[in-house]
Amino acid sequence: MNAARAEPVLPDEGARLGFRLTLPAQILVLFIAVFPLLMQLYVSLTDWSPLSGLGWWNAWSMWNSFANYTDLAADARFWSALKRTAIVMIVCVPAEFLLGLALATLFADEFPGKRIFYSILLMPMMVVPAVAGYMFFMLFQSGGPVNDILSAMSGFPVTIAWLSDPTLALIAVMVADIWQWTPLMFLILLAGLVGVPEDQIKAATLLGANPWQRFVTIVLPKMKTIIIIALAIRVIENFKIFDTLYIMTGGGPGVATETISVYIYKLTTQDLIWGYVAAIALAILIVLSIVAVFAMKRMARVREVAA
Amino acid sequence: MADVVFRNVTKHYGATLAVDDASFTVNDNEFFCFFGPPLSGKSTILRLVLGLETPDTGEILIGGRPVNAVSPAERNVAMVFQNLALFPHMSARDNIRFPLVERKVAEAEIEKRVADVAAKLHIGHILHKPPAQLSGGERQRVAIARALVRDPAAYLMDDPISALDARLREETRVELKRIQRELGKTLIYVTHDQEEAMSVADRMAILENGKIRQVGAPAEIYDRPASTYVARLLGSPMMNILKSVRGAEGVEAAEGTIRIADKAAPADAVEIGLRPEDIKVRTWSGEMPEGGAGRPARVFEVEPLGGYTVVTLAAGQARLRALLRGQPDIRPDAMVAISCEPGRVHYFGQSGGALAR
Amino acid sequence: MSTIHLQNLVKKFGDFTGLKTMDLAIADGEFMALLGPSGCGKSTTMNMIAGMEEPTSGKILFGERDMAGVPMGRRGVGFVFQNYAIFTHMSVRQNLAYGPKMRGAPRAEIDRRVGAIAEMLHLTPLLDRKADRLSVNILQRVAIGRSAIMEPAIFLLDEPLSNVDAAFRAVMRTELKQLQRQFRQTMVYVTHDQLEAMTMADRIAVMDHGVLQQVGTPLEVYNNPANVFVARFIGAPGMNLLKGRPAESDRGMVVDLGPLGATPPLPVEIADAARRMRGEVFYGFRPEQVTLAEGGRGLSMPVSFVERIGARTIIHLGDGETAVKAVFDNDVGLAIGQTAVVAPAAEAVRVFDAASGLALRAG
Repeated sequence: MNAARAEPVLPDEGARLGFRLTLPAQILVLFIAVFPLLMQLYVSLTDWSPLSGLGWWNAWSMWNSFANYTDLAADARFWSALKRTAIVMIVCVPAEFLLGLALATLFADEFPGKRIFYSILLMPMMVVPAVAGYMFFMLFQSGGPVNDILSAMSGFPVTIAWLSDPTLALIAVMVADIWQWTPLMFLILLAGLVGVPEDQIKAATLLGANPWQRFVTIVLPKMKTIIIIALAIRVIENFKIFDTLYIMTGGGPGVATETISVYIYKLTTQDLIWGYVAAIALAILIVLSIVAVFAMKRMARVREVAA
Repeated sequence: MADVVFRNVTKHYGATLAVDDASFTVNDNEFFCFFGPPLSGKSTILRLVLGLETPDTGEILIGGRPVNAVSPAERNVAMVFQNLALFPHMSARDNIRFPLVERKVAEAEIEKRVADVAAKLHIGHILHKPPAQLSGGERQRVAIARALVRDPAAYLMDDPISALDARLREETRVELKRIQRELGKTLIYVTHDQEEAMSVADRMAILENGKIRQVGAPAEIYDRPASTYVARLLGSPMMNILKSVRGAEGVEAAEGTIRIADKAAPADAVEIGLRPEDIKVRTWSGEMPEGGAGRPARVFEVEPLGGYTVVTLAAGQARLRALLRGQPDIRPDAMVAISCEPGRVHYFGQSGGALAR
Repeated sequence: MSTIHLQNLVKKFGDFTGLKTMDLAIADGEFMALLGPSGCGKSTTMNMIAGMEEPTSGKILFGERDMAGVPMGRRGVGFVFQNYAIFTHMSVRQNLAYGPKMRGAPRAEIDRRVGAIAEMLHLTPLLDRKADRLSVNILQRVAIGRSAIMEPAIFLLDEPLSNVDAAFRAVMRTELKQLQRQFRQTMVYVTHDQLEAMTMADRIAVMDHGVLQQVGTPLEVYNNPANVFVARFIGAPGMNLLKGRPAESDRGMVVDLGPLGATPPLPVEIADAARRMRGEVFYGFRPEQVTLAEGGRGLSMPVSFVERIGARTIIHLGDGETAVKAVFDNDVGLAIGQTAVVAPAAEAVRVFDAASGLALRAG
């Protein structure tokens, strides 16, 4: 009775249909993501500038092959901006992480007024970064509230020129970043923390583990994935630090707080060497992609272990 | 005719074989039960009947009509969900009306059919109440009424009472069976509880890894299991299955503790099966009785159930369990004589299949 | 000494009383089951013993020692959770070693103890497996091993079999019971399944609505239930209970079963108690202790349903208030629609005060 049997639905057929149905969306994605990238790559191989009067598609007439990239390698200002960006990241991300984790641990338990504190804690995250920048710009004026508080505490007038001193300006910028982004860390880590199975924590308690041991042996391992996600988000975001910082210091004094983003901004708006900018942008994209791939690999491994 | 027929139906999920060459017939007006351990393919069969899955190969017929290419909505089978899924904001009447209203049936027709089904299920007097004010049994009836108001050829239930506690399950399964008797409609039922399956089913199919191992009335399967697999699935405590050897007088098992004086025992039997209730246990007098019928074994454990007592016996390296009526005065470590009537012994061959006597 | 004494234990959750004045003494090495439907207070009791919840009032003593204020990590109890709460990010070995390691035991000693416990629980070949994706019976053994390695004097188990497939439960029951024999610790076992309690426990504490109903050996609670709740809850099916009125007759005290039109005799021991009764009583007997009285005196009732379940056949007689169940062997030969005359064995009859629900006792 073979004839009576139903035609099996080929898995291929489904896949093909799926491809056809999603084709418009795929083309759109291609256009949005791939096209600008190729354009960047093209421009980065030229000396093209809007001042040249040429449209970008005619940039080939100013072809310089890899000159932008060799310039980049020798650009001391680029490397010091990169170093500064790295310093900000190395200080801010761990600080935000540790503060966020401490707060999350605190908020995992019940205490009076929890909801109010919770709302207050999340507020910085909701402030527009430019506004936050302005707030901290005001706070750190030599006649500003920070100095006022320090004066009141020490008993004699403090007039630190926060934003004019190269080191202090960098510190002020980092304080602002930590203020604004610790809440995000806190939020993500709290979500991870409440997901840790309570029974397992109880079981560990019954087996004699003290709070610190429970935290290290049960809570942290269970939060590994979410910690990696939180760190990856902040590393990538922090690398792009710009608006708050630019409003507070404009990258100064001198180039004391000039990060990669600020440097690119200046090159784009003041120096107008867009071929060179395209080269920097691509270089940074590659660096960030490596970070992202590394993070995702770690995550996949953790999930495999956890599954 | 509202029979449901599977002819050589096979269904894969990716590389996993969920239903393997299944052929069976559920007769009209039958309470038919699928029973097997988790992932044995019970729920997949239900989904195939409903049309939520399409078979890879094979044919499904409902009421004589091939339905492979028929959509779920047009198959005329109804499903009663495990949690009953009644709409809490609607009265029982509106719940039952719902499938007809959805299908834009004329109001007069709806009234008539709701009244019919409510009369059949004896719920006419509670139609105005919302589900929250109904007892568990009444809710069950309303859910069934909602499934039946469309007058389906058959209705299906997937483990409908497994969430209830033990006492309520005992009551509800009887209730379900009564309803089905009164309605006289084909019911396909899935359960993982062997007691429930034996209690409710007119006939049942035993599944293993997507394969149908035996189909028959519960008592028939219990009394004549086709294989050791089936034998172990039905009955609590489960059947004792022991390696056996052919002796001069018949068959021996458990290092000679069990001797079956059955000259007609099949020669190729390698295992025997003894139902716990078929093992006779008497106090050991210290002497071998006439004919060697009762042999000594040590009591390993005694589990009182009240009306019955489960006694675990150590016979050589083997452990067997006997189910005794009442509360006999037997203690652990006592010696007892055990025996079994030859007529009650099951014989199994090399591959676990049952052998004819 | 690992006895447990609960004295006047009360637990309130706001306005709701979870446990009303519980008194219970659990002997050293005893397997005690706390049995009852959900919400009866059994888990609350267990959590208080473990120290996860504080009693509202009353005392918990381990031996002579009052446990008030002793945190759960210091009580020396092993606890097996309903879902086992295995540390899924660790290996079986790390799970077993967890307790000793947290207490700072030396490495060599940890290895020795893990080895010993794994050997006992047949976990040796699985020691280096990740603790996720293990089957439930192995998870159960890991959970028990992880607690047992601490050599707790008291073991608490919270419905460990409720997530287990019905077919597998029997195997797990046997395994658990054997483990208890090996460890010989005091065990408190919470369950809603009367079969589990009957087959495993030395004694059962039956609870309902936060009140301890009865404590006794499985056969004591089965044979002599203290009240109607226990009579119904223990046994599968539960005890038959028919409403009636005690009456004097030339045969001694009888009970008039009203609509059933029968007046079976009451046991002589409780005749005096029944004579003093003003209201109605429940005439109770176990479905397994019923015989077919052919032509003789008994309850004549229509067979409404027949369930053959493996080794036994449950005959349902009558309907509604006067329904009776009787359990027979499979050769009983009754069919739906027939009329059967059934009589409970004389020694099996139990009588309860219908108003209070309490069993009538001799004297």
